[in-house]
Amino acid sequence: MLKESIYNLRRQPVISIVTIAGTALSIFLIMVVVMMQQVRTAPYAPESNRDRFLHYPYISFSNSQWTDNPEESNSNGPMSWFVVKNLFYPLETPEAVTAYTISTDVYSIGVKGEKPFAGDVRDTDAAYFKVFDFKFVDGKPFSQEDFDASLPRAVIDTNVAARLFGKQSAVGRRFEINGGEYTVCGVVEPVSTLASHAYSQIWIPATTGHMIEADWSTLGGMFTVTILTREGGSEQEVRDEFKRRSDEFGKTIAENGWVILHRGRPYTQEVNELSSSSNNEPDIEGAHRRNLIIYAILLLVPAINLSSMTHSRLRRRVSEIAVRRAFGATRSVIFLDILTENFLVTLIGGIIGILMSVVAAFLFVDVLFSQSYVYYVSSVSVDVSMLLHWSTFGWALLFCFFLNMLSAGIPAMQMARIGLVNSLRGKDAGK
Amino acid sequence: MKRKLLKQIRSEWRSNLWMSLELLVVSVVLWYVVDYFYATWYIYTEPKGFDTEHCYRLSFGHITDKNPDYIPDQQKDDLIKTNEEILRRMEQLPFVEAASLSQNSFPYNGSNSGTYIFNDSLSSSTLNYLLRRIATPGFPKVFRYEGIRGETPEEISELMVKGEIILSGPVFGTGDDRLLPEAHIGEDFHLDGDTIHSYRLGAVLKDVRYGDFMDWNTSVLINLPHSWMSWSDEFCLRVRPEEDHDIPERLMEMANGYFHVGNRVLVNVIPFTDTRDRFQQNNYDTIRDMVVMMGFLLLNIFLGLFGTFWFRTQQRAQEIAVRKSMGATPADIFRRLITEGIVLLSIVTPLAFGIDCLLAYMEYNTYLMGSYFSVPRVLLCAAVTFGLITLMIIAGVFFPARRAQKIDPAIVLKDE
Repeated sequence: MLKESIYNLRRQPVISIVTIAGTALSIFLIMVVVMMQQVRTAPYAPESNRDRFLHYPYISFSNSQWTDNPEESNSNGPMSWFVVKNLFYPLETPEAVTAYTISTDVYSIGVKGEKPFAGDVRDTDAAYFKVFDFKFVDGKPFSQEDFDASLPRAVIDTNVAARLFGKQSAVGRRFEINGGEYTVCGVVEPVSTLASHAYSQIWIPATTGHMIEADWSTLGGMFTVTILTREGGSEQEVRDEFKRRSDEFGKTIAENGWVILHRGRPYTQEVNELSSSSNNEPDIEGAHRRNLIIYAILLLVPAINLSSMTHSRLRRRVSEIAVRRAFGATRSVIFLDILTENFLVTLIGGIIGILMSVVAAFLFVDVLFSQSYVYYVSSVSVDVSMLLHWSTFGWALLFCFFLNMLSAGIPAMQMARIGLVNSLRGKDAGK
Repeated sequence: MKRKLLKQIRSEWRSNLWMSLELLVVSVVLWYVVDYFYATWYIYTEPKGFDTEHCYRLSFGHITDKNPDYIPDQQKDDLIKTNEEILRRMEQLPFVEAASLSQNSFPYNGSNSGTYIFNDSLSSSTLNYLLRRIATPGFPKVFRYEGIRGETPEEISELMVKGEIILSGPVFGTGDDRLLPEAHIGEDFHLDGDTIHSYRLGAVLKDVRYGDFMDWNTSVLINLPHSWMSWSDEFCLRVRPEEDHDIPERLMEMANGYFHVGNRVLVNVIPFTDTRDRFQQNNYDTIRDMVVMMGFLLLNIFLGLFGTFWFRTQQRAQEIAVRKSMGATPADIFRRLITEGIVLLSIVTPLAFGIDCLLAYMEYNTYLMGSYFSVPRVLLCAAVTFGLITLMIIAGVFFPARRAQKIDPAIVLKDE
């Protein structure tokens, strides 16, 4: 079968090249779209547990003094430490709950007496390092005790470590963040900005920073929360407990008129990625519909093209097919043979397409994986572990299969139905 | 000749049906893309009402008790004094033209505060979110706001000093001339349900839009009350054009001395080009996606036409040879093949145009200035789509047609 397919491809080189180019183009673009989505939802360190994350990115609230209808007048944004402490930390069903500043902040970093440089700093807690699996090169995270005692400890990435201390070991050494002295407790591998919850260059206990006091309301502040559900545990259980606790919390804050609007939170990783603003619930159906239309266009347009080309190619082989039919091959055998043969062509195009998409992902990393609203010191980066998962190949194979069915299905059906007598007589049956 | 062409198209109806189907699908999707570009370009080229060239935002951090210079027990008044002093020091720099402190106000912001204004006879429309820009009087000078009656940024700034409010856009609703804010300059208004204080409407701005790709322009500009200075954090400045070089570096050099005030220290200087790009990244991404989609569709048309016609010229070698021996010139052969493609496109175009109109009518395309559908817009975009596909048809048929031109009747017809 393989030999036959290659022979057929070589017999009509121009048509074969056009067919393979069309397939490759389609799979290339589809895989770029798949990769763009996977970096946001598929697991990779330090966000390897994305399938167990429940994010509560923002809090939305109103006050009875502002309005009778909370939907009419409300405030939306990251939450205050008061909410973190009283609503989220008491949760018991999850494996861990962490709070961290909604975005990193640029601070002035340096060793005393030397010229400082700008670095991204995130204020967080000890549980952060349980929820996100950082690769520690040296040392360890700051502990709950460090956090409670507001000890100036910092986890830094290898780039910052090299810039501060050169090749010397960084753990235990001191440096300054906005003029305040911190001691390095751990060094981690740099994190891609695409792992947006885990990303920073320096992580410090929130109790040592300024953000814990930077509230803009009783409920609004600078923090966001990620809940890690237990492995094998039920997400629903966590949601049930959260509901119970938020009802209780709601009663205590209602005394001062406050009302929380949950807007479907907490969100899974996928839903969280679709949430573009703090005052709207993400439009999941709309996003799915949009994706479906994009995949449909990327598959259908080339499929029509390829179908026409497959049809042309098969017309050349009418008598061969007729002979096989005359020797007892059933219609379904012919149909399946053509599909399988064509699938090989699709696979060749598919492999070229995947290779092109990986090359494009690295070459055009800034264009493909751009991020909105963020001011990071680091520029965006990707590595193979982020782009290629087993599921990536699974998707590629599935899309090749669809493309093949769409492009070869109808021509194969027509060929399987050709009239024996006319075909063998030489009259073109497949016009 | 024309009749023969149609007959030929009919006789190869099956492969032409595929091609027509492809042209139809591509026509509709490409129209959607062209329509998006039209709407985006239209809004992008409208005046923005503000100017961020030579503008920078200064980000001040807070030092904590881990810093030996930390001043403990700072009260609200101390914070107000600190921010006032920072602003004063910004204004005093010789290369600075204007400086301001504001809250949720600078262009390309992303964080908004809303408000409403009213008096006995009028109130701001609920149709448009009325953005509250609350800033020190330097703000219109930093972003070069101009009044509809020719007021300069400096004059707008003076009105703010007097405590007057400044409007932009159809604040009181659209569609009725009487409701244009300009007619109400000089009237007093209340803000946010507060009926005790009133503010004179000092001027109306030339529409100040929210960003390059947005037509939203309803806002009210209010002088920042002294008591709000403690928690306002947007320090913006405009530098003199001739001085606009290495500004972030020059300012950061002053971070630990000149710009260390109270418990605050300068940590970052962000040019507004950066602010703009980060804010509009989603728009840039959509443009990128649309360009790729357009390229993909056109390339497919090219490949499809190329493949089909390559095959056809192979099949029709004898026919072409006969026509050549009957006196057809290579240009005739070329023209005939191209016409075949364009006839197919012309056949599907009315159907595609119908679908385009339906999509626009159902508001599935891009929103532009209050509408989705207008006859000139659909016509223009459909015409551009037709032109683009025609170009691709010519490109796709070009190589097979060149090959057909080279057919030598003596060789092809030697068996006859």
